[in-house]
Amino acid sequence: MTECFAEILWARVDGPAKKWLERVWPGAGGRDAAPSSVQFRAAFAGCARRLRDLPLQAGDVRMLSDAGVIVGADWQLDNVARTALLLRALSLLPGEEQAAFVRQVYLRGDFREQAAVLQSLSFLPRPEQFLELAIDACRTNVLDVFEAIACENAYPAAMFPEAAFNQMVLKAIFLAVLVGRITDLGNRATPELKRMVVAFASERRAAGRAVPDDVDLIVNLDAA
Amino acid sequence: MKMFDHHIHMTSRTTDDYQAMADAGIVAIIEPAFWVGQPRTHVGAFEDYFLSLVGWERFRSKQFGIHHFCTIGLNPKEANNPDVADGVMELLPIYLEKESCVGVGEIGFDDQTAVETKHFEAQMQLAIDYELPVLIHTPHRDKKAGTERTIDLVKASGIDPGRVLIDHNNEETLAATLDSGCWAGHSIYPNTKMDEGRMATLVQQYGTERITINSAADWGVSDPLKVPKTVAAMREAGIAESDIETVVWHNPIAFFGQSGRLDLGADGGRPRVDQSELWEGNSVLRGQEAVVEPAE
Repeated sequence: MTECFAEILWARVDGPAKKWLERVWPGAGGRDAAPSSVQFRAAFAGCARRLRDLPLQAGDVRMLSDAGVIVGADWQLDNVARTALLLRALSLLPGEEQAAFVRQVYLRGDFREQAAVLQSLSFLPRPEQFLELAIDACRTNVLDVFEAIACENAYPAAMFPEAAFNQMVLKAIFLAVLVGRITDLGNRATPELKRMVVAFASERRAAGRAVPDDVDLIVNLDAA
Repeated sequence: MKMFDHHIHMTSRTTDDYQAMADAGIVAIIEPAFWVGQPRTHVGAFEDYFLSLVGWERFRSKQFGIHHFCTIGLNPKEANNPDVADGVMELLPIYLEKESCVGVGEIGFDDQTAVETKHFEAQMQLAIDYELPVLIHTPHRDKKAGTERTIDLVKASGIDPGRVLIDHNNEETLAATLDSGCWAGHSIYPNTKMDEGRMATLVQQYGTERITINSAADWGVSDPLKVPKTVAAMREAGIAESDIETVVWHNPIAFFGQSGRLDLGADGGRPRVDQSELWEGNSVLRGQEAVVEPAE
């Protein structure tokens, strides 16, 4: 099912963009070797400006949704390309090198690249190997990057230990990110999360500041 | 009048500067990669700096309604540092691909050593390979000879001189720079280098073709408002409004637009200001009301 990313990419890419992609596609040149990290990161970076003007079609969006991408309509070709590139590179790397590889791509990316890595995690082989990266991403806190892990992304609810999930929810409230966008929040709402959120609300009231509606939303969730 | 400061080191400047620049009508800037006042000791320090040029600084600028782009390169001074030079050169293929990188630079000569020449030539080739224009720093010591060597190196590289901007020109270097077919930048400084009055005179003498100005405001005593102040000096000297606009708006756009990446938005104006946006959990605000302009 994850072949759809590469399928869509190669179907939509055209002209000079296609020539570029053929040149930088991991394992290009008939050699089935993983690209050096520098080569890959340059290809990963280049997706934005080279592919940005090529549109996805309605059928592509449906295919992405079927593959498990949430709210596929927000995805553009550069997002699809970056997921496809990661999948391709990991297919050429031994299992024990994969987590470190993806971490380097993430750390050295601009913020759109970082968001693309986080949106890809659920679709990569053995997604549990990226748990530390995903938890760390919640720390970095750049709004676009934070939203890429916290919102419309099945990974945290599926993979995060309770403490990390709770911190992510609290951070969402801090950043005024709507908690309704956190996938499967209802399945992960525990008494401890509710306690943290109620304490936050109390702190806000004591400071004479507004309490977001999201606090009530969480308090009223049925516990998992 | 909209203005474009194509050479300014905002990493060294405060938000007061951004606000003053925005108020003065500066709509777009380019921050070239350079040395940061004291020597770096790790390749990683360069990498984190490049990341800040395409990340934090770009965001910080946007909060004040100013489009921010960068150039990336190994600067001439640190090209002499064997601990970092080769490592930085290896990073350039990644950072030259970033979408807000609109040129290779600042490259050029500082002391005019052999190793500076080596890295200068290699980066000229990268500019050709990546189809990016080049921003060249001319040395402040032995400037005339350094500029002549620069021009020779540019010619030897085979690059189209129209894709090369030689910066920090003065009365001694401008004629040769223009004759070479390259663009000529001028950095307007408070006490050293070029000043507003002399710049107005140069524009009167040489016209506006391939001439640009910038503040090169940085970690030392410098002034991020030198572009608007030079506009005022040119007006006072009786230079036509359209000629002034050519120098401070149309010329930098024409030159750096050659990168194919100079995205100034649909109306070529200010990006919509939204100071409520956070970056790394940090706001640029410290207790003020956020300025949030309505979306179109």
